[in-house]
Amino acid sequence: MKSTFRRFCTARIIEHWIQIVTFSALVITGLSQRFYSLEVSRWIILHAGGIDSVRLLHRYAGVFFSCAVLAHILTAVFGLVIKRWQPSMVITRNDFLNAVHNIRYYLGNERYPAPGSRYSYTQKFEYWGILTGGILMIITGAVLWKPLLITRFMTGEIIPAAKVLHSNEALVVFLIISVWHIYNAIFSPEVFPLNMSIFTGSLSRERMIHEHILELASIEGTTLEEIRAHENDDDAAGER
Amino acid sequence: MKWTRGSLWGVVLLFMLTLAGRAGGEPAQLSDESRMCLDCHAKPGIIKFFQNNESLIAYVDADKFQTSVHNALACSSCHPDFSSGKHPTREFKTKAHYRIRSSLVCRQCHTDEQIKKRAVHRGLLQEEKAGKPPVCTNCHGSHTVTRLSGESSFTNEEQYCSRCHSHSMTMHFKNSDTLSLKVDSLALKTSVHGKLSCSDCHFGFSSEEHPRRNFKTRRDFTLASSESCRRCHFDKYTKTLESIHYTVLSQGKLNAPVCTDCHGSHAIYRVGKERTASAKRCQRCHSKEYDTYALSVHGNALFNEHNQDVPVCVDCHTAHTIEDPLSINYRERIPEMCSNCHAKKEVVGKYGLSTDVQKTYLADFHGVSLGLYKMEKGKLDKPHKAIAVCTDCHGTHNIMNTRGTEASVVKSNLLKRCQKCHADANEHFPDAWLSHYEPSLKRAPLVFLAGLAYQIFIPIMLIGFVLQVLLHIWRYAVNR
Repeated sequence: MKSTFRRFCTARIIEHWIQIVTFSALVITGLSQRFYSLEVSRWIILHAGGIDSVRLLHRYAGVFFSCAVLAHILTAVFGLVIKRWQPSMVITRNDFLNAVHNIRYYLGNERYPAPGSRYSYTQKFEYWGILTGGILMIITGAVLWKPLLITRFMTGEIIPAAKVLHSNEALVVFLIISVWHIYNAIFSPEVFPLNMSIFTGSLSRERMIHEHILELASIEGTTLEEIRAHENDDDAAGER
Repeated sequence: MKWTRGSLWGVVLLFMLTLAGRAGGEPAQLSDESRMCLDCHAKPGIIKFFQNNESLIAYVDADKFQTSVHNALACSSCHPDFSSGKHPTREFKTKAHYRIRSSLVCRQCHTDEQIKKRAVHRGLLQEEKAGKPPVCTNCHGSHTVTRLSGESSFTNEEQYCSRCHSHSMTMHFKNSDTLSLKVDSLALKTSVHGKLSCSDCHFGFSSEEHPRRNFKTRRDFTLASSESCRRCHFDKYTKTLESIHYTVLSQGKLNAPVCTDCHGSHAIYRVGKERTASAKRCQRCHSKEYDTYALSVHGNALFNEHNQDVPVCVDCHTAHTIEDPLSINYRERIPEMCSNCHAKKEVVGKYGLSTDVQKTYLADFHGVSLGLYKMEKGKLDKPHKAIAVCTDCHGTHNIMNTRGTEASVVKSNLLKRCQKCHADANEHFPDAWLSHYEPSLKRAPLVFLAGLAYQIFIPIMLIGFVLQVLLHIWRYAVNR
């Protein structure tokens, strides 16, 4: 029986690193513009060489981010259509049921947490939140970058609307990452101090049982119940 | 005869008494002739008519004459044609003509050499050469002649100076400029400096001294005179050193205004709440700007409705630290200047104007950039870019009422202004700016709805996250 499982290929690991860098750059240069009156924003703006430099850096980071998102989408489409990957990130009815199931589990009404497949419902919701948010940010960011070009084809009200969308969606994405993602990847007691799987590409069998039991079952050609029964035996043996 | 100590003291005392009587203009024994003349002339009602129908009251105040320096003289000493036996009838064209002739009598005793010693007389004698004879009595009086210096007959300096300076006198400059030296004493008395003495400003001048000063031009004199003001108003003076007026002046453009150009010299009044007067001061040099201002929404309210809420020149330009209005520093402060009224409900509220104008500007791209550029100033070694401020859209001196104007006119004007910086802007572009309105369903519904959606969504999402996290931790703790 394998003790670790490969979850991410090198390309995904590199992609995540690129996302960390571009996202951080965008957050730092973007939020300091949104909350420009805060002392920390002013410090950032001054140390980045002024607001014009910050705007320029933000746009460059935006271009990198857009390229990364485009590459991701193309890879996903290529994988799904040509390589016949499993559409494991697609949100299904099951995910909503799992969400309800997990709340029941937290409240003590279920014995086990919702069984996770390759991606748990929290990971899926987070993924789609970031992806759609990212696309919205790219579009509205482009509108704000080139208002003269946009108003050639559209009403001027698009510009302030894009600004509202851009700055609010930025906050949404930032909150998803800073509250939800950082909790799940760092502070959650199950992974603390850091969930290394996106950096190493692999995950232990123990964590697989806990978080992706359905995937494990399909890899090992068993069923959920067999894995759980086996695990309970091990626990009992350990206690003895 | 042997002098006793007592008789010696008696002589000294007599001598001193005589001196005191002379110097103090004490009443002296009038001559018989004088008494005879005064029999008639000390009574009112004698009037001398001139050919041009001007008249002169030939009344002599006997008491005053008795205390004058000439009290010991007989009338005929100055009126040689007249005596106890003679009283000829004389004809003069005008009163001025008569006065000039009378003054010639003075010069028989007071020779040119004598009177030249005083600077003020030298100027008058020069004028005489130029064909303008002096009239001694204008300054010294006639029957009440008193010493102008060293006498206690003047209770204050102003009285002393005005003996001459209440008459028409002209100062001549080397370039043939002239300046009237006549001071309107009523205006001076009612001015803010009414209680000051002349020498408080005209230092170097007093009842003892009247130095002659030489100036090339009248402007040189004004520039030198205005230096007096700083002795008391040093704070204002130092402020003016930073002003564009001083900068221009120090570049040699002597027409740049100094204190007295705006405040006047002897008739200085507190402008106080009377803002029209304040605006008019600037008009003298900046008439074009004044005229434009007068037609603006502010100027119109000031001049036609006497509205005292509207700004006048000094409210934006300040009175003393007047900065170059084309400088980047000045431009950066414009939103602050406008906000002094337009962000105050108590000022603009009664005209139905929104106080959101400042907030909406500062929250938008231009306002944010302006704030940050200001912050960066001095900290980053970069040239500062100009960014649109209030005046770029609303104008400066020509600010118009935006209400009541057709929206299409406002929009086309706005487009022209956008195009100054954004050359490619088309007719949709100005709509990117919400014209100081907060987004609402009526105005900018797209912006309003987008904002509203997030206002609802973000708290819900955040509460959801926090609940999930708390429940998760709780379950983990329970399971352990």
